[in-house]
Amino acid sequence: MNLARRLSFLSFLLLGGNLIAAELVAPDLTIEQAIDHYIQTRLTERQSQPTPTADDCTLVRRTSIDLQGRIPTVAETKRFVDSTDSDKRVKLVDALLASPDFSYQFRNQLDTLLMSGQNGVSGEWREYLLKSVRQNRPWNQMFRDMLIGNDDDPDVKAATTFVRVRARELDELTNDTSSIFFGVNVSCAKCHDHPLVEDWKQDHYFGMASFFQRTYVTKKNGIAEKFSGEVKFKTTKGEDKVAKLMFLTGTTIEEPVVEVSAEEKKKQDEEVKKQTQDDKAGPPPTPPFSPRAKLVDVALQSGNDQFFARAIVNRVWAMYIGRGLVHPLDQMHSGNPASHPELLEWLSRDLIQHQFDLRRLVRGIVLSQTYARSSEWNGSTEPPAADLFAVALVRPLSPRQYSMSLRIASSSPEAYKPATEEWSKKRDELERNSEGFANQFELPGENFQVGVDEALLFSNSPQFADDYLRDSGDRLIGVIKAQADRGTQISTAYWSALSRAPSADEVAACEQFMAKRTEPVAGLRQMVWALLTSPELRFNH
Amino acid sequence: MANTSFCGSPDHGVTRRSFLSVPAIAGVTAFAANMRIMDALKNPCLAGELKRQQKSVILLWLGGGASQFETWDPKPGRLTGGPFRSIATDIPSVQISELMPKMAQRLKTTAIIRSLNTRNADHGGGTRLMETGRAMEAAIDYPDLGALIARELGRADSQVPDYVSMYSETEGRHKGGAGFLGARYAPTFLTESMIPPNIRRQESLADVDHQERADLQKLLAKRFADKRYNASVASHGMAYERVRGIMASEKLFDINQEPQIARDFYGPTQFQEQCLIARRLVEAGVPFVKVARAWWDSHGQNFETHLELCADLDQGMSALLDDLKQRGLLDSTLVITLAEFGRTPNINASLGRDHFASAWSCTLSGCGVKGGAVYGKTDADGHKVEDGEMKSGDLFATIFAALGIDYKKEYHVGARPIPIVDFGCKPVTEILA
Repeated sequence: MNLARRLSFLSFLLLGGNLIAAELVAPDLTIEQAIDHYIQTRLTERQSQPTPTADDCTLVRRTSIDLQGRIPTVAETKRFVDSTDSDKRVKLVDALLASPDFSYQFRNQLDTLLMSGQNGVSGEWREYLLKSVRQNRPWNQMFRDMLIGNDDDPDVKAATTFVRVRARELDELTNDTSSIFFGVNVSCAKCHDHPLVEDWKQDHYFGMASFFQRTYVTKKNGIAEKFSGEVKFKTTKGEDKVAKLMFLTGTTIEEPVVEVSAEEKKKQDEEVKKQTQDDKAGPPPTPPFSPRAKLVDVALQSGNDQFFARAIVNRVWAMYIGRGLVHPLDQMHSGNPASHPELLEWLSRDLIQHQFDLRRLVRGIVLSQTYARSSEWNGSTEPPAADLFAVALVRPLSPRQYSMSLRIASSSPEAYKPATEEWSKKRDELERNSEGFANQFELPGENFQVGVDEALLFSNSPQFADDYLRDSGDRLIGVIKAQADRGTQISTAYWSALSRAPSADEVAACEQFMAKRTEPVAGLRQMVWALLTSPELRFNH
Repeated sequence: MANTSFCGSPDHGVTRRSFLSVPAIAGVTAFAANMRIMDALKNPCLAGELKRQQKSVILLWLGGGASQFETWDPKPGRLTGGPFRSIATDIPSVQISELMPKMAQRLKTTAIIRSLNTRNADHGGGTRLMETGRAMEAAIDYPDLGALIARELGRADSQVPDYVSMYSETEGRHKGGAGFLGARYAPTFLTESMIPPNIRRQESLADVDHQERADLQKLLAKRFADKRYNASVASHGMAYERVRGIMASEKLFDINQEPQIARDFYGPTQFQEQCLIARRLVEAGVPFVKVARAWWDSHGQNFETHLELCADLDQGMSALLDDLKQRGLLDSTLVITLAEFGRTPNINASLGRDHFASAWSCTLSGCGVKGGAVYGKTDADGHKVEDGEMKSGDLFATIFAALGIDYKKEYHVGARPIPIVDFGCKPVTEILA
């Protein structure tokens, strides 16, 4: 390791970011100002030119997908585009954050973060997340809900599903907790110490595992903790070791020594056994010492909480910008520094100072100039490196976003009326009705590739035709087939599917296509198909 | 150069630049991948690359676990040997079970491995192990062999599927999948029907309209895609461009397209017919085809079971090898005959054999394989491996080596380097041509 990296490592770990904090721009800037300050500083250093602000149509579409989980309706798009209010973007963002849609959208984002790939997740879990988003429950509080739980509070009872679905696999519980909440994938350190930096040793992996080792699932499908138990492991040198309860910063927890008689120990063991075997057992006993609760305490303790704050800042940033400040998201350590370390520090400090208010963070990111750039690159050379954030990154829609957006795009522009009273209920229906189609798609991960199965589904499945290409009056095709003029038809279809007016070239291409059709309605159906399957609809751009 | 990989072992000497880059399809599109760059994939300029891309794999999967005693590693006259004899083959020093008489005359194409010790004798776990070449791990979803081969040998713009899996029987039916490689490499999975899903145009839409609306879509999409330097966007265009070709490949799945004489050559059973379909697919350029033949899980009546199933396997496999050879495809097609595990030396009270993963067999035929070779040896009663022990990862390394794929190559999941075969596994060069 060279000197510069060693220094960055020292400041990262030992000083918990304080060294950098002294140099950060003022905390009373708005989040968006701080973001644009740091991003622009790096662009200036690199003499890179960012793309201009995206046009209004693109911006309202992008913001709507990100904050509402769906494309905007034509009315929503036009309202924004036609407004001459100089403050219209701030007003849009605040209105969307207050909309019923946002709770669903952000709930879905959190659900994906916390539970993707997990089976056995109940509706109650998703209800817990939805309520939490609606109440803007602080992220540190949610962490506590999920790791420790509170069976007496009906609002948070389902939160420990996070632990329960993983409790049978200690590795999974350890890895997922470290990766999701602390941005640290410790799985490498299970087999050997990290070679490059001192960050992750086997002691850290097994230290983290120790916090979960006593956790078990009861016969009644609840979670509980045993009275005793420790993690033993073999080091790479072949030495047998008992793991300490050790957080990622190296902070260790000593369990108070309590003398337990052999008889008492036997009783405790029998009680645990009963809990795992008997579905009529009473509530599980609560041991005086809870390693899981200790993990929450130590992780949120001042000085250690930078880990927790940085990880969620980085993840929320990536949700809205398309790439982490630290990338990949689960590799937050000194060997893989942030592209903009000061910005990450500033945002983390801000999050801690504002009680882990995620909605506030989201608002700031979405209001930044960085977020609002065009994703079009017209330069003669390749675009600047992605980690400069000079060009907005194109992101695939999630399966749910895609399914809901297709519904809106293929419906009559009058079919969905978000500004009305009953919208909250309608939005819930839209969410549910979109689920079946959404389930046919893979959740996009890194390096997402569209498979030919998806193209075949859109091209040939009766389901796609039935769901999206009908010509009844409540559908887009039904509306445009009643329109007299070809230009109006094309324009209506573009506004509905792609949230913009067609260009002259596009009108010409569509007219030419339609001129060759012998059967007009079938022709319109084919034209609408070509818009619904466009990459412009498939991605958030 | 100093080892700068995130993950300890000096085995993976990746550079910082390489792990920060994005592993994208066919390894070409790391930094920028608009359509112009994707086009380059269609014209691989390296001759070696081109050659490698023409290779294919057919996996004959014996779901439930076939017995090594009644196939490739007989122990006649021993207590564990069962009632069947062993017979001479076209390789003077090698004998196999009399239940495989046709294959006995075709060992010149085939290498037998008799020394698998894979330690997992549970159907689910054994299947995952033999499908992916490694044990399951909480943090990572590993791709199976078909997805790995699709990724390594498939072409981005291929007009045929890259991975077809036929699994008509229900025992052990399992889609498998692409794991961290992503849905692009997931199998076309055929179970009840031999027609791939969504491959047929709806009758209400004329073919010319189907074609022309796709042309319109492509034209309109271009304006968007050309200005986005993004591999995911490029893959969207590529996926739609493949639709017509894939649709045209429907007849590959149709056994009726074959003359009766060819069908008679393979035989009438479902497995034998699917072997013929596999040949049709490989001939058309599909890089990986799996044909599953289940019901080998002979806890009772092992010998009757194998009498029937080995006849099916012997006929289907030997016809397939003969046909591939006649068509000049055997040199470029690797046929793997494999199960999740073998069966116990001990014969139980129901005259069955149970699950056994400590000393069992498989075969490799064709591409890159030294025909007639026998690798590894079990003890006199078949209880344990005496020589040449192989793990699942060693088998995978051997398969990759036979196909000319670098078995040391790595993928990256996030920053974590994932070697294509499990750590410490090596090909068995003794059975490679």
